[in-house]
Amino acid sequence: MRRRKRMLEELDQDIRDHIEMETQENIERGLSPEEARYAALRKFGNVTRVAEETRAAWSSMWIEQLLQDLSYGIRALRKNPGFATVIVLTLALGIGANTAIFSVVRAVVLAPLPYPQPDRLVMVWESRPNVKTLSASYPDFLEWQRNTRSFGMMAALTFRDYDLTSAGAPQHLNGMEVSSGFFATLGVEPAKGHDFTPLEDLPHGTPAVIISDRLWRTRFASSPQALGKSILLDGTEYTIFGVLPPGFRFISDADVYTSLAQGEPLLYNDRTIHAIVSIARLKPGVSIGQAEGEMSAVQESLDRLYPVADGNLGANIVPLKQQIVGDVGGTLILLLGAVGIVLLIACANVANLLLVRSAARTREFAIRSALGASRARVVRQLLTESVLLAMTGGILGLIVAELGVSQMLAEFPQSLPRAETIGVNLPVLLFAFSISLAVGIAFGLAPARKSSRADVQSSLKSGDRGSTRSHLGSQSALVIIQMALTLVLLVGAGLLLRSIGGLRKVNPGFNTHHVVTFKVGLSPSLTRTASDTRMAYQQLLDRIRRIPGVQAADFTNIVPLSEQDNGGPFWVGPQQSTSMQDAPHALYFETGPEYLNTMEIPLLRGRFFTPADTADSEPVIVISSVLANTYFRDQDPVGQTITVAHWHTARVIGVVGNVRHWGLGDPGTYNPSQIYISFYQLSDQWIPAFARALSVAVRTPLDVATIMPAVRNVVYGTGGDQPVYSVRTMQQVVSESMASQRLPMILLAVFAALALFLASVGIYGVISYSVTQRVQEIGVRMALGAAKRQIFKMVIGQGLRLALVGLTIGAAAALILARLISSFSHLLYGVGPSDPVTFVSVSLVLTGVAVLACYIPARRASRVDPMVALRRE
Amino acid sequence: MSTKEQRERIELLQGTLDLLILRTLLLGPAHGHAIAKAIEFNSDDVLQVEQGSLYPALHRLIKRGWVSVEAGISENNRRAKFYRLTTKGRRQLAVETSKWERLAGAIARILRPAAQEGKS
Repeated sequence: MRRRKRMLEELDQDIRDHIEMETQENIERGLSPEEARYAALRKFGNVTRVAEETRAAWSSMWIEQLLQDLSYGIRALRKNPGFATVIVLTLALGIGANTAIFSVVRAVVLAPLPYPQPDRLVMVWESRPNVKTLSASYPDFLEWQRNTRSFGMMAALTFRDYDLTSAGAPQHLNGMEVSSGFFATLGVEPAKGHDFTPLEDLPHGTPAVIISDRLWRTRFASSPQALGKSILLDGTEYTIFGVLPPGFRFISDADVYTSLAQGEPLLYNDRTIHAIVSIARLKPGVSIGQAEGEMSAVQESLDRLYPVADGNLGANIVPLKQQIVGDVGGTLILLLGAVGIVLLIACANVANLLLVRSAARTREFAIRSALGASRARVVRQLLTESVLLAMTGGILGLIVAELGVSQMLAEFPQSLPRAETIGVNLPVLLFAFSISLAVGIAFGLAPARKSSRADVQSSLKSGDRGSTRSHLGSQSALVIIQMALTLVLLVGAGLLLRSIGGLRKVNPGFNTHHVVTFKVGLSPSLTRTASDTRMAYQQLLDRIRRIPGVQAADFTNIVPLSEQDNGGPFWVGPQQSTSMQDAPHALYFETGPEYLNTMEIPLLRGRFFTPADTADSEPVIVISSVLANTYFRDQDPVGQTITVAHWHTARVIGVVGNVRHWGLGDPGTYNPSQIYISFYQLSDQWIPAFARALSVAVRTPLDVATIMPAVRNVVYGTGGDQPVYSVRTMQQVVSESMASQRLPMILLAVFAALALFLASVGIYGVISYSVTQRVQEIGVRMALGAAKRQIFKMVIGQGLRLALVGLTIGAAAALILARLISSFSHLLYGVGPSDPVTFVSVSLVLTGVAVLACYIPARRASRVDPMVALRRE
Repeated sequence: MSTKEQRERIELLQGTLDLLILRTLLLGPAHGHAIAKAIEFNSDDVLQVEQGSLYPALHRLIKRGWVSVEAGISENNRRAKFYRLTTKGRRQLAVETSKWERLAGAIARILRPAAQEGKS
């Protein structure tokens, strides 16, 4: 580059010298000085132009040509705005949909967790046969911490809600109870103040809390004075130790973190109670397999030491990211495939349009090559144009993606883990840019190669607008591909739609209509003792039941279909025969006596609880039909006894219908047995833990907006420190339980509709183009006596043939793909992957749309005036 | 379109001009004016080249590394730039020359029968 600068600096001097030498020579030949100089200048040529061209010799040719191609491309597209608009919009939809799904896949699946060295972080679970990820018991966790070498650090946590009642209006907060070292394991330090120390792991220490940056800003106006102050959580004073860095998040949006040792003693003292989530950081160089090996050895020693509690317990280590992302990864990859198909269809449309246009431009390119343009140059010109189109489409696509993603997240707020990080960022921009570029080159290359290969001679000679037959061939192929791909998407959407329909038809075991559920944080002043708490809930429910429009109301510790879990072992009869882990497990509902009526769960035998079943009366339980059929096959369960671990040996008083707790389509492998216990009969020690979990269910024909103000009224009537939160209708709960099917179904339906639209535009374009090309032929046919109907049928038939070929190919592909999808995911319910209803109806839809798309060109063809057509020569 | 047309034609000419420059420099380094004179003289003034068009061509050859530049003194005792053929340029000249000869031969073969046809 320096050479270039030096060369050009001296250029003017060189030219002057050159002209002077020539002048000198001319003078020597006998010309007058003036004539000599004039002749020299004439012989040299235009000095300015020479200087300019010399400079051009040093400039980078390709940049200049690119700019030239660009400005030419823009001019050419502006001359044909309709064409450009259709292409840009088509691509904007295709690229937009892809960018949207990619931004989701990136945030949820691809992006690393926001902690230092995130791939070293794992979750450590216990396991028993049939249950791979069992929460640990805290005593077991302590043994792990002491006896393993694989982990640099290890920490325990449980999720817990808190009611914050001091310093301002009562507020319900999400939080966690953690062991010291929780933040350090994640590699995070409080931004202000300090972390928990091992002192906080001891019971009866000072209650301490670390709060989120968000709570610090909203509740304490970012004041540094907040540190060391105390706040009232669930009636207990906690000292603020620290404030976390902004944006810190672990699985949920928690605002308060307290020490496990300050929580419910039952949860961390009893080896048989599994309520702990355990995270750990693997030491450098230690693999998951090695850690698991060490963990099993520890578990085996625990098995020997505590055969009742820990007999037959294994260990299971899962990478933290895999745990958090769960199985949405597969669904998202499926969706990415689906949008990829949409993009292919969009590209086929654009390639079609460009083919038509390049046919019209054959002469232009023939003239260019006649003037000396190389073939590469022509291809480059065409590619510049198509990339220009793709880039414009890509920019619009980013807007489409942004709108689409925010719409989707609003529609499915809870269905994606890590959704908070979804957005348009640098990797997403890069993705959009590269697919735009790739798409521009891909769909530009075929027409470009075709045009550049066109025979100069014949193109120039014929006044014709270009070769048509060969183009029509490629166009038809593109339409067939579009039809096939669209059918694949339609089948996918159809199968999911049928699955949702199947799920909706499942009897959940209770009446999901007209039920609202919500939680109430009862004032700490009302819940000091267990009997106070029982009384407070009884009074609360009495007041709620008196609200006009409330038909029935009671509470439960777990709401069906809400993914809340409360399982535990039981034995038939009084004798415990095996270890806790080998004993049968059931799902426990702790409810009030009106719960059965509220949910309208059928009572099959005996009775449900009455207010007469109290802490002082005989312990009784109600069992579900599945439990009854499994363990009391030949006898009447009513009157038999069952021992509930951690509680009593109780008499069975009734049998009720089983509730589909784990999802409408759940196969019933995990905890299918259900046991109901009256909340009022729970032991005093259990009351605080279960009271916190209670949700109130209200059966009312009124809608939420009408009933909830009345509910809030009676709740607030008892005290100003009782928040009402988590208000959801049972219908919402049901919908959310189907989110893993509904999200892909709605997105697939949108993509399939998009594909259908694009494909119909595609087939319309091709048929209509072919009608234009065949006007003369049609004129001849009519002149020879073909009826309008025949012409109409001929054109429709042409379109239909393309559609049917595409359909056949698509159906074969869809069969294979659907089988593949159903083999690795649980998306399908109640339909086989080759469901004939889906395939037939989807094929009919596609054929119908294809015929409709051909209708307009067919009608145009049938109205051709033979005289006009023939005179067009 | 029109500028493009001109550019293509100039490119065509330049190819030939490049060859002539390389051939001239084979005899030894020369300054710009001397190259122009040599081309005119050796082609018996048949080739009417605008002397100015020499310079873009020279610079292109320098950029490609076929010609190098050095300072020198011209015959009438002036400071001038002398252009010298590089080894790479020498190789390129061989390639270009054989290419040109093949082209000229081909054109001649095409033209000869036509001329005979004209006679008869």
